[in-house]
Amino acid sequence: MDRTGSRLLPGLVSFVAVLAIWELAGRYRLVNTVLLPPPSMIAATLWQIVRTGTFLAPLGQTFLLLFVGYALACGFGIALGIAMGRSEPIYCFLEPLIELMRPIPKAALVPPLFLFLGFGATMKVTIVALAAFFPILIATIQGVRGVDRIALDTARTFGCPPVRMIFKIILPASLPMIVTGMRVGLGLGLIVVVLAEMLAGEGGLGYLILDMQRSFAVRQMYAWIVILAVAGLTINAVFEFVEARAIPWRSK
Amino acid sequence: MAVEVGRLLSVPDTVGTARWFGRLRFPILRTRVTGFALVVALLLLWECSARLGWMVSQNWPPFSLVLTATWRGLWSGELAAPLAASMARMVSGYLIGSSCGIVLGLLLGTVRVLDRFVTPLIEALRPLPLPALVPPLILFLGLDDALKIFVVAFAVVFPVVVSTVGGVRDIDEVLIGTARTFGASRARTLLRVVLPAAMPSICAGLRISLSLALVTTVVAEMIAGSSGIGYTILQAQYGLRPEEMYAAVLCIAVVGYLLNMGFVLLERRILRWHQRADADV
Repeated sequence: MDRTGSRLLPGLVSFVAVLAIWELAGRYRLVNTVLLPPPSMIAATLWQIVRTGTFLAPLGQTFLLLFVGYALACGFGIALGIAMGRSEPIYCFLEPLIELMRPIPKAALVPPLFLFLGFGATMKVTIVALAAFFPILIATIQGVRGVDRIALDTARTFGCPPVRMIFKIILPASLPMIVTGMRVGLGLGLIVVVLAEMLAGEGGLGYLILDMQRSFAVRQMYAWIVILAVAGLTINAVFEFVEARAIPWRSK
Repeated sequence: MAVEVGRLLSVPDTVGTARWFGRLRFPILRTRVTGFALVVALLLLWECSARLGWMVSQNWPPFSLVLTATWRGLWSGELAAPLAASMARMVSGYLIGSSCGIVLGLLLGTVRVLDRFVTPLIEALRPLPLPALVPPLILFLGLDDALKIFVVAFAVVFPVVVSTVGGVRDIDEVLIGTARTFGASRARTLLRVVLPAAMPSICAGLRISLSLALVTTVVAEMIAGSSGIGYTILQAQYGLRPEEMYAAVLCIAVVGYLLNMGFVLLERRILRWHQRADADV
């Protein structure tokens, strides 16, 4: 057996074991099947949703909002992070404001944003961007400040222009830190987008999950949670794949 | 983490900023005076825009009114009571979650079989966004404290487990070998050698999950609202009482800041023996 196989197999075994216990507990009425239907029943409902393609629209909606907000956060966070990491005056100018905004749990900003931006896509994109922005910014500042001085001095000795320095030395050198911040930001963005959808009640996976619970469509609720979980796992895997490609020199 | 950025300032600027900005003629630009001026200016702008009607909106109360609403709310208990309720839930959830996380992390880090079978499950559950867990849990736990404490504990477990396992894995083999040479039992080695050696990493996880616990409390209270500061914010928004809403947000922000500061101080005490402790925080 190859290495990935021996790593995946135990996980698969325990996953199947958990499902089996859950199924049997339902069959033998050890748990209330109204509240926790056995996986086979959830799977049937899930198959219905997947087969008819109804999952596409909400899934697309949620993840489009997430990606737009996240892309904004990455763009602004990294750009500002480089500026603040490189320049003392810019850092001093913005640091107190950022320190003031950062401890606010971004989830608490969802209701105020409702008032200003309504319940639509703008609001959700904004809150995702806000939530993901701060970890990316902080990580970028730290990464940029930690760049090896000798590398910078060498570049300067060779007359490297500032813009080139940013793309050829500073960005690659601080990439591991930036990616760490981006990972934190992605997690926060996902939390916030689901929350915003639940509270706004205008479609999306978050809204569906809460709506199914309120209308006591328990099986559908679990099916949608599975869809969200799989989507979450997928973007996590994509992130790790891109990370491994972007920073191959970083050992696991 | 608040201190992180503050600390960075004390690091001498070695990256040659001066060259980029020319020879700086105004040394004041290198102090945070400008930053505080910016904050004051923005608050003034907020105040003026509301007072002078530059921004005509019911949702835009002047900052001074938000401050008085905070003050009033804290003294009358309208804000203080939900805040205290939220904090109680958060702290219980945090304590339960972090102790479970440390125990589970120590087990996964030391028992190979457990690690191979359980870690994939944890990895699979981790990317599930927490708000999605609240609706099914409402079915089992209702809308009360039990639900919120559980959700917070659940949110806290993952980062703590991951950082504990990381800490345990990175332990110097010599330490374990030495303990074995002196005939320390497995349990004793775990408590006296492994746990302290993994402490810096565990603390990092505990710090991350502290802010996560606060977010989760607010999130759970908003979705399954019956009381608490998250619910207060949402109610104030529905009821179009913006001062109250901003006052509640302000309170959470302050609490978040204080919690983080308290943790950093505590961490310094716990890890006083650890040379990297200061560099880390």
